[in-house]
Amino acid sequence: MSLNFFFHSTNSIYFLQVSLQSAFLPADKNGNEKMWKYIVKRLLLIFVVLFGVTLVTFSAMHFAPGDPAELIALARYGSDLSSEQIEAVRAMEKLESSVCIQYMKWMDQLLHLDFGKSLISGDDILTEILIRLPATIKLAFSSLCISLLIALPAGILGALHKNTFLGQACVFGSLLGVSIPNFWLGVLFIWLFSLNLGFFPSFGYGGIEHLALPALTLGTSMAAVTTRLTRASMLEALNKEYIITARAKGLDERTVILKHALKNALLPVVTFSGMQLGYLLGGAVVVETVFSWPGIGKLLVDSIFARDFSMVQGCVIFIAVLFSLSNLAVDILYAFLDPRIRYEKHN
Amino acid sequence: MDKKLNIMLLLLALLAVISASACIGEEKSGAAKSTGSEKAGPEQALQELVVGISTDVNNWNIELFPDGDGRFVWSQVYETLVRLDPDLQLKPGLATSWETPDKGKTWVFHLREGVAFHDGTPFNADAVVFSYKENSYSRQAMLRAIDHVEALNASTVKFVLKKPMSLPFYLTHIAWPVMSPTCVDKEGKFIKPIGTGSFKFEKQVKGQEIELVRNEEYWGNKSELTKVTFKVIPEVSTRVMALETGEVDMILKVPEYDVIRLEKEQGINVYKKHTTFTDFLQFNCKKSPFDDKKVRQSIAYAVDTDQIVKTVLNGIGTPAKGRPYSPIMLYSNPGLKVYSPDPEKARALLAEAGWKDTDGDGVLDKNGKPLQVKLLVGKGEWADRHNQISQVLQAELKKVGIVLEIQTLEGGAISSLENSGDFDIILRSGYYVWGPYPKHFFIHTSMCPNSHYSNESYDKLEDEADSTIDPEKQKELYYALQDFVIEEVPAFYLVHEEKVIAASSSVRGYTISAEDPWLNLEGVYLDNKSE
Repeated sequence: MSLNFFFHSTNSIYFLQVSLQSAFLPADKNGNEKMWKYIVKRLLLIFVVLFGVTLVTFSAMHFAPGDPAELIALARYGSDLSSEQIEAVRAMEKLESSVCIQYMKWMDQLLHLDFGKSLISGDDILTEILIRLPATIKLAFSSLCISLLIALPAGILGALHKNTFLGQACVFGSLLGVSIPNFWLGVLFIWLFSLNLGFFPSFGYGGIEHLALPALTLGTSMAAVTTRLTRASMLEALNKEYIITARAKGLDERTVILKHALKNALLPVVTFSGMQLGYLLGGAVVVETVFSWPGIGKLLVDSIFARDFSMVQGCVIFIAVLFSLSNLAVDILYAFLDPRIRYEKHN
Repeated sequence: MDKKLNIMLLLLALLAVISASACIGEEKSGAAKSTGSEKAGPEQALQELVVGISTDVNNWNIELFPDGDGRFVWSQVYETLVRLDPDLQLKPGLATSWETPDKGKTWVFHLREGVAFHDGTPFNADAVVFSYKENSYSRQAMLRAIDHVEALNASTVKFVLKKPMSLPFYLTHIAWPVMSPTCVDKEGKFIKPIGTGSFKFEKQVKGQEIELVRNEEYWGNKSELTKVTFKVIPEVSTRVMALETGEVDMILKVPEYDVIRLEKEQGINVYKKHTTFTDFLQFNCKKSPFDDKKVRQSIAYAVDTDQIVKTVLNGIGTPAKGRPYSPIMLYSNPGLKVYSPDPEKARALLAEAGWKDTDGDGVLDKNGKPLQVKLLVGKGEWADRHNQISQVLQAELKKVGIVLEIQTLEGGAISSLENSGDFDIILRSGYYVWGPYPKHFFIHTSMCPNSHYSNESYDKLEDEADSTIDPEKQKELYYALQDFVIEEVPAFYLVHEEKVIAASSSVRGYTISAEDPWLNLEGVYLDNKSE
């Protein structure tokens, strides 16, 4: 339940941002200044979004089935509980006050950048998250790179040779990629590259050799969708009038495709990759579990199973921050790339 | 255009720098722990064992419960006053002998002398008093009957109980071992694990690994192994492959479906042994239809536990046929009259209880209500096993006209349904089980918070069995309880579990223990010539 909730919440953040974005599009004559205003506004909006996230997270955890005090006691003391123990936990974790007061106290902590302590281990939540952050960042960026390295050439080839065997092969390959579940692909890669070929270690965290398989697994599955998107927008761009003009001007095919078609076709790909990055920074739960990669996603799932409410809340907030920031980065990049966004109002 | 390209390049460069710096930051922590993957060669002579486990140790403190695979690691670092051998016979641990002057109300333990904790702190009566203090997990949980613990002298401890009980059996449990008082600082804050076990805690990298080194001053037989590293590998198929590639030397909790394949594989040994766990169906006896004994008995006749073991467990484990105790447990009655599958009898019992198929749709009904029951299956440690078992149950019960609705839920959701009583059956394993001691029957008493069965004569029998310490009398009472459970069926017992451990053939001298969760590394050494 909590996991589902998390995906929904990040999704809704995105939609909220998109809808609000239209109201604050950068406009103008004086490009740079307007751009900064835009960025500042977007940053402020993030706070509004995060406030919503705290509200949703908190209520989801508190209205989930089961009495929180009892669940914490269960996690700490096992199944054999007395009612005194449950009451003791309630007092210890300050769960006796009303939900509103608890929420306000929690918000007060958050505003002081205090994520609180884990209910199970007593460790500082922010420290725990930050320990996992490098692993998550490493995996997110390397799999995004792999994904783009596969998807861009495959998508362009697929569009340019759409009616040939090569083009169909690209489409088929990406269809296959979309259909294969991550956990299966991961196990298959371990079987092939670790067990049979002995190229990479099968699990764990450390150097580049440990990163190879998880990044490849995530990268290839992400590449599937990006390939289709690149191909589609490339096809669309190639049918535009300016391409005919470019060709008529006598430009060589290479320039036409790379400079004129690709540049325009890349816009949706950039947006999409940014969103993918957001998801990845939130932790790739399945791949992290298969390869025992100690990222944020795994921390979140472990804490859900351990019923560590405060840790789950901390993780969700942190992931929401990362997601919002990466979306912001994409929007800014988008405004830089697409002149129509910058000059819309001016014209 | 060029400007835009520049900005893009700049951003790309920035991303590259960020990811590179993340990589560099990691090198430091990565460099120190390269033992697992380079185990071939001279390192093997160092006798370093690498074990793959499924969950990290989330707690080392006696005030909390070590869940998941944590106890396999605890059993290397910490020790208990009373120990069990691989066949579950009591033997001296940190206590060399014990006695009870008043039939189990007080227990006096004579402690082993000349034993020191890993940091040099002497092991004595004070350490025992510290470990069984009021707020320790053990006394908050199963040992609530302890009134107080006092040191008679440096090597003698007295446990005073509120009611008689067989304390030595309870004290074999690794979740409540003896810890050094120096584990905590002056304010009582936990610092690090310090025990008396044959391995010392060296370091833990959260979510990845735990390193233990040999305790050179161990009081018993010093281990041949100089170091044991537990690697956390949550995904079971990854764990199996890590053993096959040689990245780990030993894995715990091997899935049933991999056993036959691993047994055939060169260079891998598979160890199996019955544990004290038995999977069972716990009925909600306070609600229709299971408030009727006949309906519960009909389930016992309808379910073929042989089929469960054969079809989903690949022959691993023993069909329980309703027998509550695994044959290796103390007082398990080998002559117990168990159930054999008999669908006709099941249907007859259901008919007697008023459940008949009046509308001819293949589902039994009574007063216009179809016989549809809800089975709760947890998402925890036993999930894989329980999911498969529940599907077999669904098919078997369908044959006698019962519709079984399976609900797979997270632990919190199950406990809330349990509290509200909104369920019919829960599929469970290993509740209140430690050592060979048959405490498990507690779950069916009305005193147990998880119970949905209430029968005064049962409560009395259980209480009497638990507070008697005379073995003969105890045996008689536990035999009576077993007959009771077979007749009354507050729960129907399905499969006596077998634990499976696989190790590389370079791991020698390993004896699998029936105790679970427990990893017996006594006598284990590595022989690299066999590879």
